[in-house]
Amino acid sequence: MYVYYRWEETRMTWEHFIYFAIGAVVLWAIGAWAAWKDRTTVAYTTTTLGLLVFFAFILSMWISLERPPLRTMGETRLWYSFFLPLAGLIVYSRWKYKWILSFSTVLALVFICVNLFKPEIHDKTLMPALQSPWFAPHVIVYMFAYAVLGASAVMALYLLFFKKEATDEEFEITDNLVYVGLAFMTIGMLFGALWAKEAWGHYWSWDPKETWAAITWLAYLVYIHYRLLPKHNPRLALWVLILAFILLQMCWWGINYLPSAQGSSVHTYTT
Amino acid sequence: MWTKPWTMKEGFLIGGGLICAGLMLELSVGPVVWEAFAWPANGVVLAGFLAIIAIIFLLRNKIYACRFIGTYQAAIPTLVYAVVLTIIMGLTRQTVNGTWLNNMLAFWPFVLIYVYMAVILGVVILRRLVHLTGWRRDIPFLLNHLGLFIAMTTATLGNADIQRLKMITVTGESEWRALTQDGAIREMPLAIELKQFIMETYDDGSPKRFASEIHILTKSGKSIQTTVDVNKPVEVDGWKIYQYGYDTQMGAKSRISILELVSDPWLPLVYTGIYMMLAGAVCMFIIGGRKRV
Repeated sequence: MYVYYRWEETRMTWEHFIYFAIGAVVLWAIGAWAAWKDRTTVAYTTTTLGLLVFFAFILSMWISLERPPLRTMGETRLWYSFFLPLAGLIVYSRWKYKWILSFSTVLALVFICVNLFKPEIHDKTLMPALQSPWFAPHVIVYMFAYAVLGASAVMALYLLFFKKEATDEEFEITDNLVYVGLAFMTIGMLFGALWAKEAWGHYWSWDPKETWAAITWLAYLVYIHYRLLPKHNPRLALWVLILAFILLQMCWWGINYLPSAQGSSVHTYTT
Repeated sequence: MWTKPWTMKEGFLIGGGLICAGLMLELSVGPVVWEAFAWPANGVVLAGFLAIIAIIFLLRNKIYACRFIGTYQAAIPTLVYAVVLTIIMGLTRQTVNGTWLNNMLAFWPFVLIYVYMAVILGVVILRRLVHLTGWRRDIPFLLNHLGLFIAMTTATLGNADIQRLKMITVTGESEWRALTQDGAIREMPLAIELKQFIMETYDDGSPKRFASEIHILTKSGKSIQTTVDVNKPVEVDGWKIYQYGYDTQMGAKSRISILELVSDPWLPLVYTGIYMMLAGAVCMFIIGGRKRV
């Protein structure tokens, strides 16, 4: 089968990742530089081009794997690296923060480096339980939420340890990021519930992943409500944000190492 | 302490009091028996619960504690307690027959904190309905809070009415009996004949598809030919039919297919809450944390 052979030959694999990654990061870096220089059009164009280059890789992986690349940690990091600059671009277009594109580029670079230096073995199969139209939106929306909430956590670190005195504007940025991140997290969680009903017969089973999703969700609610409290302590609010992001790590990958979650979670797909 | 207006300190003390009360209940009457809430008990409890919320709300100008329940100072500590208790749940192995921390869902302190959270939500929603501030802020607020309230309360109280049964079907035979979770045999209002079990695998042998071609006959007189796939349940007369298992030793040649039949009469109410929260999340994204007055 000659045609099949050619197809095999042109298959996109992780070996090709580095070329796309370098291309995208260079474009994003130019965009970040342009944002500092107030050259908005350049910033929009190059960041978008970088996203297209990166998405081209995701899409070809999707086609080569014959399933959405959403299953392994390496694959979800791929989406995370994609969504960070996208979230940065959206925030930039809405509030025009000069620093946001530099920040999202650096974070995306970190995740790209993890994928380059510690790639995980990726297999082609997708078990029946994951074959659902809910699969892609559930994970993609969550990754976007993680990206935006990651940005809010870095903002909190910056305000706590470098800036010391946070301005109202800086707090407004942080709040905006949390609201947007929590909105996506809520959608991801509820999509998960609707999918669970179709796949396992119940929308919420307190599976370890679900339990930690609830914890993370409630922790961000603590931040939002505490910020609305008159005469609150702003530094304590920032600490809540950092703690919430640590809990989020637990939900994202920490439970894979948690003894209490072993063998009882439908979200661990390693066999 | 306890001088008006109360602060978060009092909020934390009230939550701590609830946890102590929960511990004493756990010691004296044992864990929460959720099975006891089957219809009509859950309907009565829901009506009573809503009435209590309404009374607390109506007494807000007479009794200070009732007014306090609707404040951030009450809500934030409760959320913190909920986070802490749920973290404990996430760190301990949960089993159906576990006790105390190993069966958090039946552990009184956990249950009381979540119930208190629902009371706070209820009171806050009523207050908002009475003092509307403009649709741009009220609609997202109500979608988020009322959505969560509906989803939480109906999912919890409706849980006792959920029926999940396993039906073991054999190729060419009609089956109308199913096993409950306790292993008892029940006669179902529908009969299923397995036409064929389907199992497809990838080249490396890992499973790609499990499905059952079935013929359903219902007591109401319906006759349906259909296929049940993993992730694609079939719904008949309030029952959702899922592909659950097969004879793993026979694999693709299995003549047996295990189907799961699920009935959840409260599902439309829970979904109402979930869809409201989804709409609320979309509003939250659009509005963001923009300066509130």
